Amino acid sequence: MYEKNGEEIFVIDGHVHMWDARKENIIHEGGEQFLQCFYDYHTGFTPEEEQWDIDEYRHYGADKMTEDLFGNAAADMAIFQPTYLDDFYDEGFNTTEQNAELAEQYPERFVLNGSFDPRDGEEGLRYLEHLKEEYDIPGVKLYTAEWRGESKGWRLDSDDAFQFLEKCAELGIENINAHKGPTIRPLNRDAFDVEDIDDAASSFPELNFIVNHVGLPRLDDFCWIAAQEPNVYGGLAVASAMSTHRERKFGEIMGELLFWLGEDRLLFGSDYALWNPDWLVDQVMNAELTQEQKDEYGVELDVDTMKKIMGENAAELYDIDIEEKKRQFRDDPVSERFDLEAHYGSEAGAAAD
Amino acid sequence: MSGSSADPTGDAGGDPTDNRDRITAVRDRLDRVEDPELARSIVDLDYIDAIEVDGDRVEVRFTLPTAWCSPAFAWMMATDARDEVETLDWVSEARIELCDHMHSKEITTGVNARDGFGETFPDADGDVAAVRAAIADKARVARQREAVQALLDAGVDPEQVVALERADVDIVGDEAHVDLDGLSVVVDAAPVADYLDRVTTSGHVTAPDDTLFLTPEGDPIAADRLDVVQKRSRLATVNMGGQGAVCDALHRARHGPDGPDGSGTSPLDESEFDRSTYDGDVDEFTSTWTLSTDD
Repeated sequence: MYEKNGEEIFVIDGHVHMWDARKENIIHEGGEQFLQCFYDYHTGFTPEEEQWDIDEYRHYGADKMTEDLFGNAAADMAIFQPTYLDDFYDEGFNTTEQNAELAEQYPERFVLNGSFDPRDGEEGLRYLEHLKEEYDIPGVKLYTAEWRGESKGWRLDSDDAFQFLEKCAELGIENINAHKGPTIRPLNRDAFDVEDIDDAASSFPELNFIVNHVGLPRLDDFCWIAAQEPNVYGGLAVASAMSTHRERKFGEIMGELLFWLGEDRLLFGSDYALWNPDWLVDQVMNAELTQEQKDEYGVELDVDTMKKIMGENAAELYDIDIEEKKRQFRDDPVSERFDLEAHYGSEAGAAAD
Repeated sequence: MSGSSADPTGDAGGDPTDNRDRITAVRDRLDRVEDPELARSIVDLDYIDAIEVDGDRVEVRFTLPTAWCSPAFAWMMATDARDEVETLDWVSEARIELCDHMHSKEITTGVNARDGFGETFPDADGDVAAVRAAIADKARVARQREAVQALLDAGVDPEQVVALERADVDIVGDEAHVDLDGLSVVVDAAPVADYLDRVTTSGHVTAPDDTLFLTPEGDPIAADRLDVVQKRSRLATVNMGGQGAVCDALHRARHGPDGPDGSGTSPLDESEFDRSTYDGDVDEFTSTWTLSTDD
């Protein structure tokens, strides 16, 4: 937990991966380019002393990941967001099954999302049922720009996608995480809109749509849609990292998000291993709006707001009882491994770094 | 062409014989080419790796912040660069090379062969004209706020602002004259002229009786909604700035803090980051990683 102004903030990192981009797993040049692009994001928004080398970045493994997330109690829990990319990576880049290796080792610490791809048709529906059955997934992460043979992507408001969303509703898979970031299709109408979220969200009011990366570079379209659709949420992965070197931009974006969506619909995410909560959480907690931004937007990043963004909003979506978790973490395997019992045991546990 | 900059230095006339002057002339033309996503010059953004002049032939190499940048955007910048350079009288042919991109080969080949985007990417969804229109529209929305604010600051009522037509505004030197039923209000020309430029490019305001200020959807604004429209305009500006910061960081991650032309003013210190540590097997990357030491 993080302590700010004497208050504990329970941190749920809403966006983490355990990926494998070792060369032997890459079967398409897109896989190498994808990883290199990720690495540019990593170095572009990571303080120099925290940067990894490329080999470590390709594959870091379960052990390092556990330590990075929880070793200094920067995060208390984390939510896996799989990214399959089967056309690029032999065994997949970051699949539900790969993530499950760690999620099942520390089930009290992780939320394991699944995924679907409507282009898989009937077989895909069966796979979604299997994921629910096998892992009881509470949500899915969707990657609409994923290549699949001749196809270079799909839309969330297509008939095929609606069939899968119906299946999600039927199975109680409520949290639909959609990646809305850089697209790779040769010419893609949705390269600059998040329009497909609009129709999907209004057609499935019983589902929650978390738009990762808050639609950047379509923040404007995203905010306008979210302002009208109460079941649309903003996932702050990438936006959070802009607090590195670009604190003013980060403040502006947070000002807009708080203005249009309010403090109840924003979820922190490190995007690990793009960025590491080990230092990012502290940086985001200390980011401030300028006086000009406070005046312009009429909002603040105060402790109550941060409590919601950093943990409570995710807890609400994923039915996590934070107080119960704090009790549980007084003697769970992660706390034992990193000597965090006292951290969760005391009334006001400061970050154990 | 997206080159709508008011930069007066891009005079197509004259015939500099000195190579250095010719390179400067090419750079001035390229300065008019914008990254459509950011509405900023590709020269300012440090995308240009090299300009080579050989008699009447010019070669321009450029790199975008990410190999995954939309091919449609990359295509626009490449064709705009070619067309801008070829407006120079002494240039017979401009060759453009896009480096280090997912579709470097296709785009470089297609642009220099003067093919259309559709020929280069047969499976593309939509066309470049539609993308251009959508981008021009975003720039229009983003630039409206300052123009409207200038009028509000000068005491013009929201009711009067939303009722203005194109013919009510005249740019006279560095002043914008706004006619309010016979009463003239004078404000600084810059934000108004900039807005007029964008709104003309986007095709929204062309006839004298077209309504001057519009919602993002392109409709007239109800006076009591002007405040919301202003906030949406602010949002469009923040979006471009946010994306600019992302592109800038990626660009610096690829090229190091000095950028390809050594003019970087980055607050980042990434000099430790050495591309040569990578021995990967993807041609597009290895073949261009040394470019940052060019020039």
